[in-house]
Amino acid sequence: MKLARLVVAVLICGSATAVVAPAEDPRASTEVPTGSPPAQQVPDADAVDAAAVDADIANQELSGDARVRLDAARDAVVQIRGFFDKSASSAFHGSGFAVDDGRRIVTNYHVVAQAVLYPRQYRLEFLASDGRKGPVHVLAIDVRNDLAVVAAETLELQPLKLRSEIPAQGERAWSIGFPLNLGLAITEGVANGLVENSMEQRIHYTGAINGGMSGGPALDARGRVYGVNVSLVTGRQLVGFVVPAKHIPALLARASEPLDPTLSAQQLRKRVTAQVLAYEAEVLEAPSGATRTQDVRGYTLPMQISRHVECSTVDEPSPHMRVRVEAVSCWIPARISVQAGVNVAGFSMQHRILQSMGLHPLQFERQVNRLAEAPRRSGAPAYVAPFACSDALVSLDGFDARISTCLRQYRLFAGLFDFDVTVVGVDDAKQALVSRLVLQGVGFESGKRIMERYLGALQWTP
Amino acid sequence: MLIEQTDPQGQRILRQRFAGAGTECRVGRDLACDIVVDDEFSAPQHALLTLLADGRVSVRDLGTRNGTRVDGNRVPVDAGAVIEQGEIIVGRTRLHVRTLRTPLRPERMFRRDFVRRHRTVLAATGVSACIAYGGFLRWLDAPPLLLRSITTAVLLILALIALWTGLWALISKLNQGSWKVRVHATIASIGVAFCAWGYWLTGLLAFAVQRSVFVETGVAVAGAVTLAVLYMHVREATRYEPRTSLALAGTATLVISAVAWITTVGDGDGDVNRVDLGPEVRLGVQRVVPNRDIADYLAEVDKLERAAGRERQKSLLDAPRAEAMAE
Repeated sequence: MKLARLVVAVLICGSATAVVAPAEDPRASTEVPTGSPPAQQVPDADAVDAAAVDADIANQELSGDARVRLDAARDAVVQIRGFFDKSASSAFHGSGFAVDDGRRIVTNYHVVAQAVLYPRQYRLEFLASDGRKGPVHVLAIDVRNDLAVVAAETLELQPLKLRSEIPAQGERAWSIGFPLNLGLAITEGVANGLVENSMEQRIHYTGAINGGMSGGPALDARGRVYGVNVSLVTGRQLVGFVVPAKHIPALLARASEPLDPTLSAQQLRKRVTAQVLAYEAEVLEAPSGATRTQDVRGYTLPMQISRHVECSTVDEPSPHMRVRVEAVSCWIPARISVQAGVNVAGFSMQHRILQSMGLHPLQFERQVNRLAEAPRRSGAPAYVAPFACSDALVSLDGFDARISTCLRQYRLFAGLFDFDVTVVGVDDAKQALVSRLVLQGVGFESGKRIMERYLGALQWTP
Repeated sequence: MLIEQTDPQGQRILRQRFAGAGTECRVGRDLACDIVVDDEFSAPQHALLTLLADGRVSVRDLGTRNGTRVDGNRVPVDAGAVIEQGEIIVGRTRLHVRTLRTPLRPERMFRRDFVRRHRTVLAATGVSACIAYGGFLRWLDAPPLLLRSITTAVLLILALIALWTGLWALISKLNQGSWKVRVHATIASIGVAFCAWGYWLTGLLAFAVQRSVFVETGVAVAGAVTLAVLYMHVREATRYEPRTSLALAGTATLVISAVAWITTVGDGDGDVNRVDLGPEVRLGVQRVVPNRDIADYLAEVDKLERAAGRERQKSLLDAPRAEAMAE
């Protein structure tokens, strides 16, 4: 668990690296298998078809050399660079590739986010492998899938073909981009299918992806684009993520017109907010039928508040040797980056049941208060406003609890809120519930509905 | 006629009585004078005070450069002045004159100071209360080595009280000649115990009525107690007038409050990551106010939305950088 906390997946936009997985996200541990090597399937010798082996060998000759892939893609790939104001040195950079008729370039939303959110401050340029350069403008964005379509006047590139099927696990794959601004590079690896337990559509690529390769194409053996490089896990080996290419056509259909240059930054932010809210309506709020609950020591605890929630129950290390803590943690491992360093649409919930082992009620109370003390949230003052809080004693189903609710808004996105709800049961002097719901960057109404569902499901039967 | 001379610090250095109508008293640097002043701004023969038959005093200036003042007014050289009482200034020397006609207040009632009378019991009570609070806090934490932990806390508290009391006792000894150990120990320990136990009880009350405003009240009470404690220490240990003592204690309290405020200012408003929790939970305590139901509480969350909106507006006004960059 501790180890997992060290692991963070970061977006791979050149200079602006952003944490996309929450530091406390236990999913990171499942992303990063440590210790045991990946199980190799050794085919039974008798079952091996000689013709298939021949085809494989031919295939390998065709695709064996990364140089073939790179040469084929060289004319399609450009570096996307962002400049602050009139500065001549780039503020951030990523990659992009031509599709369709060669006039439109696909990249990641997070590569161009600064230019979308601060249109008067940042400008974008492309740099082709033959040295051509010129301004580009954003045509369409897809915040949820971290995709954007940009175009440059008069620029025509060799388009790459798209492949909408997800590659099979173990298929050889290549990723192209401009890692760390070191020039065009290709890396070789293996596609490992869609990431499990995630409603974010991401393909797990086992190969090197580095900052600056964001937006670059991920290619299969035939040189078709199966996805777009998007993020990596730092501190681990070769765990990268790729957005499936099947999301690109829908975005291209919307990209016939450029984003209206007369749109104010506020309107653009509203557009980004609207995309986030639409995503939340689909993912965070998706009801799972009846809210699934778990009974722990007389408490009924909400677990599956919405369809995509994952939970784990652990016997937590206790802050005191005469207090036992059982913790149930649930979360939605979804993070959408709206801006470098600002990830939204996060959900996590932690129920902790404390049991006194021979402590005096006053002593136990002190331990409960200590555990209930809210850890400081993270967030930069440039992006979020301070919390507004309210506190009350509320009768819940079968028990009384003190509920503290804190709300804050995002400075740039008026429609997005952070929720922080703490529930502390106050009825029993031998056993207590400390439960916390944390929502990150959600709409107020959907946040309130989740909160209602959460409070409504909490129950105690002594 | 009674004449008293005080030095610039207000300490009396001379007290002389004159009786009989027509008695004269010369004031000046000359040794032939009845009251010899050591004052370079005074003439050798400066003023002449005569006790009149009706009990009043006539004041005459003997033609000096600096003149003579009675209650701040210069005495005319040829006319002189007649007074029943007052302050006469010769050069820079102040003489207080009192006559038989000066009205006197009735004697003050003699009342023994409560603190002084019960100083032994009070000091013992205060120190015990402090020790009890320290022990109680350690016990609340339920540390693995409870006895050792409590002993450490008690010794620490004793040492602190001893140090503080010793400091004031020393000041008393220097100023008044007596140590007054028990009086100072009483003042310090009762004040600290009052604040400590008050803090704990305030927490209880705050939870019972779900109002964290008690915390602010507690801070105000602690400030008042600090002021009272310092004032009493100063009164006991020095010879300052009540007003001076109050000013000293007030200044010290302000300085202490300012330091406390500055050191905690980092936790103040504008911290975007601070999640406020209300009063600490007290388990199984009979509550004074009835609990709300969920619907009622959720209605409050709507108000919170507006409050969060105001926080955002405020933060945009305070630091408009991000917004300004866009426009």
